[in-house]
Amino acid sequence: MSITLRKIIFCFVGLLAGLAAWPVAEIILLFQVSFPSYLMFSIFLGAIFGLVIGLFMGAKEGQAPSNRKSLFNRIIAGSLVGVLGGAVGFLIGQALLFVLGEYFIHSGRAHSALGLPLSRAVGWAFLGLFVGVTDGVRSGSLRKIKVGALGGLLGGILGGLALQYIGIFIENMMYARFAGLLLLGLSIGFFYGLVEDRLSFGVLRLLNGKFKGKEFLINQRKTRIGSAGKMDIQLNQYGTVADFQAEIVSKKDCLLIKSRDEKGTVIVNDSLINEHELKFEDVIQIGKAKMIYLARSL
Amino acid sequence: MKKLLYFIILAFALPAAAFSESVRIAQIDASGLLFKQKIKLYVSLTDDSGVPLKNAALNQFSVFESADNRDFVEIPQVTDFKIGENYEQGVNFLLMIDNSGSMYRSMEGEKASDEAEMRITFAKDAVRDFLKKTSPMDKVGLVSYNSFYNSHSKPVRNQAEIQRHLENIEKPKGDAVFTEIYGSLLLAAEEFSSIKGRKAVIILSDGENSPYFQNTKKDHQDFGKRTVLYDEPIKRLQMEGISVFAIHFGREGNKKDENLGKIAAQTGGAWFDARNDHELKMMYNKIMDQIIFEYIISYNATMSPAEQKYVRLTYKGSEGEYSANQFYYSSSVFGLPLEQFNFLLLLPLLLACILLWLITLLKFESKKQTPSLEVLSSKLGKVLTTSIDLGRETVFIGGSEKADMTIIGVPAIEKNHADIVFDEKKNIYTMISNGTVKVNNKPVKQKQLESGDIINIAGTTIVFDSGEK
Repeated sequence: MSITLRKIIFCFVGLLAGLAAWPVAEIILLFQVSFPSYLMFSIFLGAIFGLVIGLFMGAKEGQAPSNRKSLFNRIIAGSLVGVLGGAVGFLIGQALLFVLGEYFIHSGRAHSALGLPLSRAVGWAFLGLFVGVTDGVRSGSLRKIKVGALGGLLGGILGGLALQYIGIFIENMMYARFAGLLLLGLSIGFFYGLVEDRLSFGVLRLLNGKFKGKEFLINQRKTRIGSAGKMDIQLNQYGTVADFQAEIVSKKDCLLIKSRDEKGTVIVNDSLINEHELKFEDVIQIGKAKMIYLARSL
Repeated sequence: MKKLLYFIILAFALPAAAFSESVRIAQIDASGLLFKQKIKLYVSLTDDSGVPLKNAALNQFSVFESADNRDFVEIPQVTDFKIGENYEQGVNFLLMIDNSGSMYRSMEGEKASDEAEMRITFAKDAVRDFLKKTSPMDKVGLVSYNSFYNSHSKPVRNQAEIQRHLENIEKPKGDAVFTEIYGSLLLAAEEFSSIKGRKAVIILSDGENSPYFQNTKKDHQDFGKRTVLYDEPIKRLQMEGISVFAIHFGREGNKKDENLGKIAAQTGGAWFDARNDHELKMMYNKIMDQIIFEYIISYNATMSPAEQKYVRLTYKGSEGEYSANQFYYSSSVFGLPLEQFNFLLLLPLLLACILLWLITLLKFESKKQTPSLEVLSSKLGKVLTTSIDLGRETVFIGGSEKADMTIIGVPAIEKNHADIVFDEKKNIYTMISNGTVKVNNKPVKQKQLESGDIINIAGTTIVFDSGEK
């Protein structure tokens, strides 16, 4: 899977996340009057909304060659972080909405044309931000958290604005929310893919075998390569590959590849290495898999 | 004796204000809605002479909420009921002094040469007296207005500063002598909008609204040719949560602006007449009392969904029941819900789950069945053939049009730059070149190729795939 295809899949999964979150949100909204307070309502709605978005976004990298267990772990982690992120994000968003909404409604400054959209966009931005960091928190990567936060933030703002402006043109709020949530999910997926690509150190592209052409973004301080399910670059069906055979570590101005298993071998440009500074178009061989390193600006 | 009777009657009649017993929601504080579910009402309760009623009991008040301003639900319990909290918390006052030409006349409306006889002098005295009675927590701002709006100071705690500004108010000259009351109130509402807490405008006027453009036929610096109508400041002041207290200053029978009373009534304030300097001071004090002795009524908001909730407060007084209405913002991030549940809502959820599951099944496998060469990228030239399957025959790569893989536009590439030769016995492919070629980022002349090897010829990157075995 190329980086472009990866971005398309992110967008599609984001779209599906919005599609799934819409009916869930509609059902919870129906029961607003049954909640004891706005606080409980906001936390519950945010948590469930975050759960759905987190679950879907957690599955966005779940395609082969990852095994089912790895996919399941990503979904569970995504859901849990999504619950937390959704609750916190929604609470902040709701608080901002009340403050900004109160300001705009009392100041009379283009309330429906500017005040509400702006208030909601800020609210959704926080929701997007917290949902976006799900994958980064799951993998313990600060850089991924940054990527997700920025992607989610941008997606949230766009989705929030869309939700409100569509609401101005479509009288039925249900359809406005439907369109807005689809756009929110799509935006989160799109911006996540875009920011992830822009902020990555480089790309490893598989040159042979069953998954030839698949590209892996190097966007963490430490990227683990091996056959185990928890590896960032998982190599199955490429001969003998140790569970954790190599690691790519980013330093200030370079990327180093290090061998992490005594039994396995890591070959760069046909030479056996223990540690090697990666240069443009270096060819890494692990097991039978060969990958070319395509650098980005550090 | 007649003289004494006249003064007794006058003493009772003069302070009479132009309002009746009333309850007003002067302001709503919804800042505690999200975390405490709390709504705080600032309620002004006065008797028929405008004096605050300080002994009202909680059971005399009832609070109602509505999502549509039609069906109101009674709030079962008031969580907090206080009076006089504004004194401790402080109030933001904006004092608006009429500085039109007529304010430099005597109380009888005649030309005055002695400054001590001028209305403006009495007005300044009354403001000084008012400033002395403010609490340390209060903030006071000062505006003078005539044809134009002149802001001397935003609300500050430093009363000496306000006194200084007061002394600097000067007699208007030329066409600045008119009285732009409504326009000035509109600008005051804007100036007051960024300030939080309890906000009250006290406007003093000795006449009627007399717009600049209508009198001079010249464009006004703020409104151009537009004449500001009295309902414009009402809307703006209501939205800002600012109550207006208006004082008409003039002898019995002097012209006064009736709409100023409407502005005061509709913004949660009140309207007063002051016919001499003594009464003027009394009215300022009365206004201060009304605001300080406002009731604070807090309650837990209802959860019915609405963009804005309407609050109705009723008060059972000795002479009947009085009510007041206001609204606050209560929308959620998602907006308003549907009217009823529809099972079709579950379809998108099901569809999304199925599509996600299908995506996770995608393998994106792309293994080549036969040995091949595929161009990954070309930095300099143009590659005419980007992918070729390798057979048993030797494959030529170079700048020649006859080459199996032609790279044009790169002078460093020879016509026949590299050969890919197949060894049938060993079933292997070997790259042979006389020029500069890198395989796996190392310069070589000849190399036995393995699946996944990268061949770089003058910036063109080609990957060798041995195919599925």
